[in-house]
Amino acid sequence: MLYADLFGWWIATITWSIAFPIAVSLYLYRRRPGKQHANPERKLGLLRDFTFVWFLAGLLVLYIVTVSQGSALLFAVGNIVVEALLLLYVSRSGKEAAA
Amino acid sequence: MFLILFVVAVASGVLGQPQQAAVILGIMGFSVVLGFYNEFRAERAVEELQRRVSIKAIVMRDGKTAEVDSSSIVPGDLLQVYIGDIVAADTRIVDSKELEVNESLLTGESFALEKNAESLGEGRSASTPAEASNMLFMGTVVVRGTGRGIVVSTGRSTAFGSISKSLSRAHPETEFQRGTRRYGNLLLYLTFFLAIGIFGFNALVGHSLLNSLLFALAVAIGIVPEMMPGIVTISLSSGAHKMAERQVLVKRLASIENLGNVDVLCTDKTGTLTEGKIAMEGVLGPDLKSEPTVLPMALVCNVAVVGGDGRVTGNQMDAAVWEYAIKRDLVKSASAFSKVDEVPFDYERRMMSVIARRGGELFIITKGAPESVLKRCGGIALDGGGQRTAMTGELAKDIESDVTSYSREGLRVLAVACRSIEGKGAYSPDDESDLTLVGFLSFTDPPKKDAAQAISKLKLLGVDTKILTGDNEVVARKTCDDIAVEVKRVVTGDDLVPMNWADFKAVAEETTIFARVTPDQKLEVIKALKENGHVVAYMGDGVNDAPALYEADAGISVDSAVDVSKEAADIILLKKDLGVLAAGIEEGRRTFGNTMKYVNMGTSSNFGNMFSAAAASVFLPFLPMLPMQILFMNLLYNVANLTLPTDNVDPEYTKWPRKWDIGFIRNFTLFFGPFSSVYDFLTFGIMLFIFGAPAPLFQTAWFVESFWTEVLIIFVIRTWRVPFFTSRPGKWLTVLTLGCVAFGTVLPFTQLGALMGFVPLPPQFWVLLILMTITYLLLVDAGKVFFYRVCGY
Repeated sequence: MLYADLFGWWIATITWSIAFPIAVSLYLYRRRPGKQHANPERKLGLLRDFTFVWFLAGLLVLYIVTVSQGSALLFAVGNIVVEALLLLYVSRSGKEAAA
Repeated sequence: MFLILFVVAVASGVLGQPQQAAVILGIMGFSVVLGFYNEFRAERAVEELQRRVSIKAIVMRDGKTAEVDSSSIVPGDLLQVYIGDIVAADTRIVDSKELEVNESLLTGESFALEKNAESLGEGRSASTPAEASNMLFMGTVVVRGTGRGIVVSTGRSTAFGSISKSLSRAHPETEFQRGTRRYGNLLLYLTFFLAIGIFGFNALVGHSLLNSLLFALAVAIGIVPEMMPGIVTISLSSGAHKMAERQVLVKRLASIENLGNVDVLCTDKTGTLTEGKIAMEGVLGPDLKSEPTVLPMALVCNVAVVGGDGRVTGNQMDAAVWEYAIKRDLVKSASAFSKVDEVPFDYERRMMSVIARRGGELFIITKGAPESVLKRCGGIALDGGGQRTAMTGELAKDIESDVTSYSREGLRVLAVACRSIEGKGAYSPDDESDLTLVGFLSFTDPPKKDAAQAISKLKLLGVDTKILTGDNEVVARKTCDDIAVEVKRVVTGDDLVPMNWADFKAVAEETTIFARVTPDQKLEVIKALKENGHVVAYMGDGVNDAPALYEADAGISVDSAVDVSKEAADIILLKKDLGVLAAGIEEGRRTFGNTMKYVNMGTSSNFGNMFSAAAASVFLPFLPMLPMQILFMNLLYNVANLTLPTDNVDPEYTKWPRKWDIGFIRNFTLFFGPFSSVYDFLTFGIMLFIFGAPAPLFQTAWFVESFWTEVLIIFVIRTWRVPFFTSRPGKWLTVLTLGCVAFGTVLPFTQLGALMGFVPLPPQFWVLLILMTITYLLLVDAGKVFFYRVCGY
């Protein structure tokens, strides 16, 4: 692998760029308006609110694995699968919001 | 920004990179022309619109009185001024009645000054406008009384022209202007420290000092929102154009955004909620029953101007009296009287008087609000004016009750009273005492046909309506009933007088009708509502509305308003159609929405890209992008944003008022900014570890990826809707954005691209780029679901 000495740096930066919005989302979630009225039993709702975080984490794994393998094909296939899931998620969320 | 660009260009040239210097200078030149052309076009359009508001003046030429456009006044004209007029030229007073003028435009002094025709004294001259007590100066405002004078100079040769001040006073900074300034400052500080940090790190890891410096400066330029003023100006002028098509004229561009943010509309009643075509319905005897003899006196106690062509102008109610008499051929009835003197109207007394002679006898005739006139009546002419009967408390109560029943029907009533008076040199309001009530005049002013619909539309837009009127509470309540305004509470000016400020603010919050309020009380209500956290619009057309119009976040007047109101207003309705007000508010919200798109774009994508550049420059053995490539990308990005002000705005965005929220922008930046960094770093990984790219290929790949994601993200950010493609973007935004993306895509294959250090990219990269970009757009869309659920819309 060319530039192998930079691989560690690269993993650090891309991990940081994914960890940062996740940290921000936790911060925003804790400070959200109307928090005191939230239902503590709503565990599933909480998981759903953070769906995009699971996508981010999944993408991080996909990107690190495919780039470390140097496989453009694996990268492309993985992306298409994630895109299909994302499209499903945003379409369902859009319908829920409209309702 | 341009200074930084110039420094970068000069440094490049001096240090042996003439190609880079030439490209940067070219970018600079293009940016200057682009910015200048757009701002020039926007400003010209606004000037053109502003010319459509004309100020009128009454002059006497060749012995004839006429209302003319103030710009057509020439030296030698005899200019007549009334309360509320803006003086149209420098004028030597020849005749005045209790004339007071506010000259703050020239002197900065806010107190009104008395003016009269008297000479200053032999050998004395005035060194300031305030000392020239026998002169009226162009641009100053008549706040009391009347006057006439010979015009001595006009236009640039006036005192006003010579000091070249703007006709309008400097308005306080609007909330939107404050917001954009704070946002700009925040980014500037951030840029400054980021640039120093990047330069320091690059220098420390051994990159050349020159390249480190140029790179740091280029990154800084990439973050500075240099298009912000241009985007705001284009957004506002585009909004002003759209509003002009609906006959809403915007005098002050910044007020468009304020109009969009308005959540309380305070409005005068007459001419705004009502037709403003006041017609006299009839004359009534002093007990509202007997045969009336009041019309001749009402024609004498009158300030309307009857032109040679029979057209009546001036005060609307006085004009209605004349129109009533002309229609019934009763004008001659007033010929027995000859006017000798006048005690002008003011809002404290709510009445005016004239001194008139009939035969050998001198009379004071007073006309005004019934409750004010009744207080000054010691008798009543029950038999038609010949015999005076003492006004008892019981009789006064009966009359007041009858007047109230007229008000309940929506009629406005004026009382007329008189008494004989001794001749003397000067007359004052003190002479308005022990009068004999001779009758009443009743007027109709029906609500506008579209008022109810407009008020209900405003309610749907989250705007509360409050009525601030000089009329009595009964008439105001009747108007509210007619136009379906829900009345929560009614207070009168007298109720407000004893209140402390805390109570005043609480009452202002919960009251719908403020009746019999003075101009100062209107102003205080606006201030109280603003202090309560509301963004307040005020709509009015009278002299008494001017202070409130000036204080409001958005002052709205009509083209037929008095000069001082038109001058104080930010927005003029050219058509008396209240429906356009709701349309104006929606347009303001659309303008605000499009401006916020640019802000959100700048933070989420541009900022993320530059942050990636900073991080990459530290660990890469070469610069991730050349300074001129960064600058060129910045230029292309700015071009792509140019049509943002014309973009469609989702209808749900205009449903309620919005404010500039720096906390929201900060959260947006922190949340969405790193998303674009993920794909920047991913591109770095792909180019380094899959393609093993050398510097030029790496830089080209990042340029293209960065540009695609930076520009295409607008289609996701521009709407709250998820998925983003359920909201249709504007035609021109789509065309220009995709055009810029196409240009950025072919650039590496061109001579210009080669000149800038780009190389052709392998086909495999394009496939990966398309997949990456789609994932990025969908991921941000998924992020929107969380962000708007947690942070609100």
